Amino acid sequence: MKTIKILHMYADMLDLYGDSGNMEVLQFRCKKRGIDCQVDKYSIDSEMPDFSSYDLVYIGGGADLEQQHISEDLLKCRDGIIKAYKNGTFLFLICGGYQLMGKYYRDADGNDIKGLGLFDYFTVAPNSRRKRCIGNIVIETKITGKPVKVVGFENHGGQTQGIKTPFGKVLFGNGNCSKSEAEGYCEKNVIATYLHGPCLSKNPELSDYMIEYCVNRGESEHIALEPIDDTLEKECRQVMLDRLLKK
Amino acid sequence: MKRLLIIIGKIIVKVLRLMHRNAGNLPGIILWHLSRHKAVSMFKVDCPIIAVTGTNGKTSVTNCIAQLFERSGKKIIINKEGNNLDTGICSLLLRHCDMSGKVKADYLILETDESHVPVVYSQLKLDTLVVLNFFRDQLDRNGEMETLIQKINGFCKTFEGNLILNGDDPNTARLGRANPKNKNVKYFHAEPYAFATQKIFEASEGRFCPFCGEALEYDYYQYSHIGKFICKKCGFGNYEPYITAKDIDLDKPVFTADGHTYSPKLNSIYNVYNMTAVAAAAKLYGIDQKVTDGVINSYTVKNGRMENFMLGDRKATLNLAKNPVGANMTLRVMNEMQGEKELLFVLNDNVADGLDVSWIYDINFSIFERVTRVVTSGTRAYDIAVRIKTAGYDPAKIVVRPDLDEAVEELARTEGRKFVIANYTAVQPTRSALKRYITKHGGNK
Repeated sequence: MKTIKILHMYADMLDLYGDSGNMEVLQFRCKKRGIDCQVDKYSIDSEMPDFSSYDLVYIGGGADLEQQHISEDLLKCRDGIIKAYKNGTFLFLICGGYQLMGKYYRDADGNDIKGLGLFDYFTVAPNSRRKRCIGNIVIETKITGKPVKVVGFENHGGQTQGIKTPFGKVLFGNGNCSKSEAEGYCEKNVIATYLHGPCLSKNPELSDYMIEYCVNRGESEHIALEPIDDTLEKECRQVMLDRLLKK
Repeated sequence: MKRLLIIIGKIIVKVLRLMHRNAGNLPGIILWHLSRHKAVSMFKVDCPIIAVTGTNGKTSVTNCIAQLFERSGKKIIINKEGNNLDTGICSLLLRHCDMSGKVKADYLILETDESHVPVVYSQLKLDTLVVLNFFRDQLDRNGEMETLIQKINGFCKTFEGNLILNGDDPNTARLGRANPKNKNVKYFHAEPYAFATQKIFEASEGRFCPFCGEALEYDYYQYSHIGKFICKKCGFGNYEPYITAKDIDLDKPVFTADGHTYSPKLNSIYNVYNMTAVAAAAKLYGIDQKVTDGVINSYTVKNGRMENFMLGDRKATLNLAKNPVGANMTLRVMNEMQGEKELLFVLNDNVADGLDVSWIYDINFSIFERVTRVVTSGTRAYDIAVRIKTAGYDPAKIVVRPDLDEAVEELARTEGRKFVIANYTAVQPTRSALKRYITKHGGNK
C-alpha cells in the first residue's frame, strides 16, 4: 500500500485547542493498520511545497493575532492550494483554518482579514469579544454516506455565513452562527468545521473516512480499511452523547 | 456614600459570620454591585501593596512573600484563601478596615487573578507587581491569552512602581517594555538545570517576538516556553537580570541566587522559579538574609500540590494539573524517578475547570517511561484514557473507573510507586477519596 502524505500547515502557530491531536489520531489509526503515514509541516518562511503531492492538507485554529500573521503567508500559497483541491487533495480545516478558506474574516473592530476565497462563505466576528459560541457540540453529518454523529467542542466568536453544503446538522450546540442549525462546510474532499476536542479523538468513523479517502486517492481499485479496536473511543463518545442528547 | 458602603459591607460580613458562613467572596459581590463595579475604590490603603499574578505559582509566591514580612515582624494582610478577584479582595479589606475604610497594616500581599490586575490596581495604588508566567489555562473562560496579556500590558503602560518579571518567559518579559519611563523593572532569570533542552518539548505560547514578529531563538528551554530566549532582530530578551538562579541541582535540591545557596524542600524547576521571584522581592525590600533563608528553605505545599499519601505501604504523590504545563511537569517528575510506577489521572470538566478538555492533547504522554499501568477517573475519564491510548500507550494497561473511590481502590490494588494527577475541581474530591481509602485500609498522610 502507498504511503499517505499529509501536510500540516502552521502547526507551530495554529494549535490553540489541542488541534495537533488530530494528526496524532490519524497517525495512530494508520499505524494500527500498517499504513505508512508521513506528516510534513509547513509554516511561515518554509519553502513552498507541492500541495498536490499531498493526500491531505490540514490547518488548525489559533488566536486572532496568529491568524493575522498567517493570512498573508497563506495568500502566497493560494494557487498551490487551489490546484491541489482540484487534484483531489483532501482539505481538513478547523476553526481558523476553516475561516481563512472563505472570502474574508471581519474581526471585532471591523477590519477585514482576506481569506483564500476558495469557498464562498465569509465570517463576521461580533462587536463584543465576549460573545462567543463556547461549549460541547454534537452534529450529524452524512459525509461518510450514512448519518454519523460527531462530538466535539466549539469555541469561536466568528459567525460564518453563506454556506450551501454544511458539514452537518446541529443536534446540540451552536454551529456556524450562534444557535444555528448547520455546522461547518463540506464536500467530498473537504471538511471545514469549528469542532475542537480534538475533533477526531472521539469520532473514529470520521478519521477512517479521511484515511480511506487518502489511501484510495489515485488508486484504480478500491481499498477498504481493516477495523481496529475502538472500545475506548466508543465508550467515550457514548458518555458524551448520553449526557448531551438525552435530556 | 463610601462610608455607607463600608458599613453595609461590614454588616454583611457580621451576618455571614453569625450564620457560620465564610465571608470570602459574597460581601465583595454585593459591594461590587452597590459601588457600580468599583468594589475596592472605597478603601484607604496607605501601606505598600505587593501583588502577585501569573498562570501558575501565584499562591505559593504570595504566601512566601507574606512570610518574608511576617517573619520580619511586620503586620501584613494577605488573601490566603485564594480569593483573588476584585470581589474577593474587597471582602478581605472589609474585614480589615475601620469604619472610614482605612486599612491598617504594614504591607498588603495580594494574590491577584491575571484578568483582574487592571481592575483592582486602577483603584488601589500598587507598589510592586510580580508576574510569574503566562500559560494556556482554562482558555474558554478567560478568552485567548493574548487578550489577557494586552490587558495587563495596558495597565503597565502607566505603572511606575516596581515590576518583578520572569525574564525567561517572553509573555511576561514583554511587560518590561510597556512603560519606557518606568525605571523599576526587574527581571529574574534561571540558568539551565539538568533537564533543560535545546528543543521545545511541549506545546506552548509566544514563539514569536511580540514587538517585531520574528521567531524567538532559545539558548535552552527549561520547560514549556520558559528559557533563555532572544529576538535576533530587535533584541527583545537582552536584559540585565536583577537576580539569577544558578547551580540548580534538583536531586539535593539546591540552587544559588545572588551568591547565596538555598536548600528548598520542593525539587521542581517550577519551584526554583517561584523561589527566585521570592528572593527578588526579598532583595527589593531589603529583607534580612536569615529570614529569606528561613522562608525559601522551609516552604512546602499541601492541597494536592506534590502532596504525599501512604496507601497502606504504597507511596502516592498527588499533584494538581490545571493545564498542560502542570501536567507535563508532573510527568517529568515521574520520569526522572527510577523504577516502575502507576498513574491515576482524574479529569473533570466542570465550569471551574474550563469545559473544554482538548488541552489534554497538549500533554506529552509519549515520554512515559516505566509506567506499568494507568487508571483514569473523573467526569471525563474516557477522554483522558483515549488521549493516553492515542499517544501510543498499550490500551490493555489502561483501566477506566469514573467513580473516584473505585479508581483509588484499583490504583492501590497492586504494589509499587503511585502518582496521581488531578485537574482543578478534581483535586479535593481526589484527596478525599485517598483519605477514605486510608481510613478503610490503613496508611497515613
